Amino acid sequence: MDKLTETPRKVAIICSKGGLDEVYPALILANAARQSGIEAFIFFTFWGLDAVTEKRVDHLHVNLAGNAASNMPTLVGGLPGMEALAGHMMKKQMAELELPTVREMLEILVDSGAELYACELAMKMFKRTTEDLVPQVKEVITAGDFYDLSTGAQIIFT
Amino acid sequence: MTTNDLTPILERLDRMNAGLAYVVERQRAQEELLGELVPIGREALTTAIGRLDALDQKGYFRFATELAGVAQQVIEGFSPDDVRQLGDAIVKILGAVRALTQPEVLQIAVDATQALEDADQVKPMGIFGMVRATRNDDVQKGMALMVEVLRRIGHGVNALTERAPKQLDKKAKLAELLGPRSGKKRLGVERLQLPAGRPATPAATPAPAAAAPACSTPKPVTTAAVIDGIAYSADGHMVDASAWTPRLGEAIAQLQGVALTPAHVALIDAARADFVANKVSPNIRRLTQVAGVTTKDIYLLFPKAPARTLAKIAGLPKPAGCL
Repeated sequence: MDKLTETPRKVAIICSKGGLDEVYPALILANAARQSGIEAFIFFTFWGLDAVTEKRVDHLHVNLAGNAASNMPTLVGGLPGMEALAGHMMKKQMAELELPTVREMLEILVDSGAELYACELAMKMFKRTTEDLVPQVKEVITAGDFYDLSTGAQIIFT
Repeated sequence: MTTNDLTPILERLDRMNAGLAYVVERQRAQEELLGELVPIGREALTTAIGRLDALDQKGYFRFATELAGVAQQVIEGFSPDDVRQLGDAIVKILGAVRALTQPEVLQIAVDATQALEDADQVKPMGIFGMVRATRNDDVQKGMALMVEVLRRIGHGVNALTERAPKQLDKKAKLAELLGPRSGKKRLGVERLQLPAGRPATPAATPAPAAAAPACSTPKPVTTAAVIDGIAYSADGHMVDASAWTPRLGEAIAQLQGVALTPAHVALIDAARADFVANKVSPNIRRLTQVAGVTTKDIYLLFPKAPARTLAKIAGLPKPAGCL
């Protein structure tokens, strides 16, 4: 009757991009995994690091330029302020749907037992220290550590 | 007959003699003149023939013949009406010629041709060169003039085309060839239309409620198993939430490996109350909002797949939504 208890599952999600629309899928997938009794952890690297950086987490934008689905010409989407505007619009829509903010999602994830990791190399590149990160991040790890952690896990790259 | 009678006769004879002498004299003079003129005339004729011959050799006569041919063609090719119009236009033509031959205008033409003569000294130019060149006052003036000329030519062309009978534009022609075309918005509708003669099959798949986001749409629950008179769906949730009893909840909790505590029961009651109120099985986020518990608490109470386990124990369908 209950298939979930039969085979323990695990997902490792790599979040490498920092757009609002690029961070949410990783967070929601991890959350859904936990809700389904699947072990989950997220590895934040490169621009994805913004989602766990204290100063950036509340100001993630939507990337419009080069996004064919954005219904906006790339030139217009590339104008200053357009990303912030689109990000604002998306946040408004998410609020209407009662979607948690990125910060709330991070809290929910940690509460539900998911683990968040930051990439060491990306931290060096962006000159960030552990003090710059949100408290939900468990550890700063290397790519090798990531593979150790994801043993037996399905890896999802976003 | 007297001498007196003879006198008038003699006088008349005298006069006659004088007249005769005059006639003879004139005859002689004429003969002399003729004698002089004949050689002159002969010479003149010879010269004239020589001249005409020279003209012929230069092609004057052939030219004239050809000219006559050209004139013939012109007459054949143009109607008198055309010629009359030409007559009307000749003033304008002359005006144009006069304007072109003004010394100032000719000077411009001479300057322009000078540029052509110096063509070998001109360096090739790219688009940036063009842009740079537009900063020159003379180039700007020339460009303005060119644009003005273009404008006037275009104006004239427009006037001409307006006068010409209106032709079907390309799109209209294409539409005529292709026949009636349905709008873009009807593309999906077209697909539903079945070819004539084939009976329309009854809708095998009921239209899904596409309006709601797929994420939160509760799927119709079908019975997969019936245990002790209670129907369960394939994913282990009770099909009919109203058939639930606390005793049944305890039994399901045992199967799920959960030992029910008052905290569990409170949460189950909250979930059931919310389901009754909203007809939607609450997800974890919803539970945190309606039951006043934290996410952490829920995971502590139901460590494995909390919302699902809770819904199963509470006799509710699979929780809706992604959160």
